[in-house]
Amino acid sequence: MTSRPSRRAFLLGTAAAVIAANRRGSAQAQSSTPTAGQIVDRIREKAGVPWRETSIDGFKAGGADAIVTGIATTVVATADVLRRAAAAGRNLVIAQEPTFYTANEDGGNRAGDAVFVAKKALVDERHLVVWRFSDHWNARKPSEPVGALANALGWSAYRQADGDASYKVPEMRLDALLEHVRTRLRVRGGMRWIGRPDMTVRTVLLSPGGTDLASTVARMPRADVIIAGEPREWEAVPYVLDAGVQKAIVAVGRIVSLEPSAAACAAWIRSFTPELPVEAMAVGDPYWNPLS
Amino acid sequence: MTAQDIVTRIQQKLAGDGITWRATTVDTFKAGRPDTPVRGVATTGMATFDVLRRASAAGRNFVVTHEPTFYNHLDQTDALAGDPTYLAKLRFIEDQGLVVWRFHDHAHMLRPDPLVAGSARVLGWTPYASPAERGIYVLPPTTLRALAADVARHVNGRAIRVCGDPGMKVTRVALGPGYGVPPLTQAVDVSIGGEAPESGGHAEYAMDAQALGRPRGVILLGHMMSEDWGMREVADWLRAFVTDVPIEWVPAGEPFGRR
Repeated sequence: MTSRPSRRAFLLGTAAAVIAANRRGSAQAQSSTPTAGQIVDRIREKAGVPWRETSIDGFKAGGADAIVTGIATTVVATADVLRRAAAAGRNLVIAQEPTFYTANEDGGNRAGDAVFVAKKALVDERHLVVWRFSDHWNARKPSEPVGALANALGWSAYRQADGDASYKVPEMRLDALLEHVRTRLRVRGGMRWIGRPDMTVRTVLLSPGGTDLASTVARMPRADVIIAGEPREWEAVPYVLDAGVQKAIVAVGRIVSLEPSAAACAAWIRSFTPELPVEAMAVGDPYWNPLS
Repeated sequence: MTAQDIVTRIQQKLAGDGITWRATTVDTFKAGRPDTPVRGVATTGMATFDVLRRASAAGRNFVVTHEPTFYNHLDQTDALAGDPTYLAKLRFIEDQGLVVWRFHDHAHMLRPDPLVAGSARVLGWTPYASPAERGIYVLPPTTLRALAADVARHVNGRAIRVCGDPGMKVTRVALGPGYGVPPLTQAVDVSIGGEAPESGGHAEYAMDAQALGRPRGVILLGHMMSEDWGMREVADWLRAFVTDVPIEWVPAGEPFGRR
């Protein structure tokens, strides 16, 4: 026989439901104006990678208690990005690279420097929060920066099964690939390359950000060209130079190579932060070329 | 005279100039036998495969390189063990009887630093060196646009990058070697060097400086375009006390944008 709840139990249950509903309501009210700390907690929960005890990821300006009205993701929280973010009401800026010019964000001998001081003041006056998200975003598998760069180049469908950075693109000459990369990534002056313009390219390694030698050596024998961000010129660059005329490397710059990743990061955060506007803010190629 | 004899003579010369040989240094033999008799010396910014071929063809079997031979600062070859590019380069060195020795740490200890002085000389800035501040050059007033064009013409690089307002006024320039691009502050107008990370106070600082109304600039020559010239200075320096064999500068040259 099914026991029916007593009236007392029913009333208690109703009261509990009302309390629960009130809690949900207050949680909703709270989540419509989340704090920066709550956003970070959500990111930590969704990241899908163990959170490191020691990490460069963390608050670089402002703090966890700030009420967030909008989020801007960017490669570098430049003064220009900070101003645009503030003007658009995106007071939580999530950056992949340092804000104050060094990994530890410490002014050091720049502490009294007018630009350093003015940037600190800009952040303070606009009540901006800057949170760095690099170690953990870059640790996600498959690689977010690689996938985002491939997407920006229109090559997502060409991903090779055997590696998350190798793409089998429709056959093209190196000079055509260079033009494609320059146009798609809006490279202004930073793009540098090594290789024969008429060489045929099929297999492309994508290496946004930095390019370590070990992964280059491991993958390059099966690839024609590396599209890199900031390869060191005593490492991957001379390695490709020495590898001979069948190999090529293109360096577009760290910032340019990571802009698609910052945009992908905005889309990812938006997927679990529906109550806030989340927007990617491009830095753009910092360089121009004196010869063009 | 063997390669080791020349290295010993370099160490003696440095000791005479008050520069003590470091206990830990990358300035070591990288390939070939130190007891190889030397027919000629080639100095270079980097012992690329192309440099090795040219040095060998010219009979300069002792190659003195500023940067690594095997693609990493310590010239560790573990990761390269089965790599065809590494093996081909190593075999060429052995087959041709070449010896490769790195001259990096102690070269930067010379005064003036030849790696900076070489760039200054090719830029025509030697007379503008600040007497009080190392690495600072006080130029006749110009703009960043004009300066960058002038620099590109003089070093003949194909991949020079500039960050900053082209119209900004320039007179005080900090010149650094290779990866040692002086981090920007308000103390100089422009910082110039080889290569720099975009997260170390160079391009990002220049972008901010422009946005915040205190424009500063960065000019990146590329690593070889920055330090190759300095190894010409080192060749001149060596000739003064290594007189038994020919000494020649074999530049690695601009690696980028080859056609």
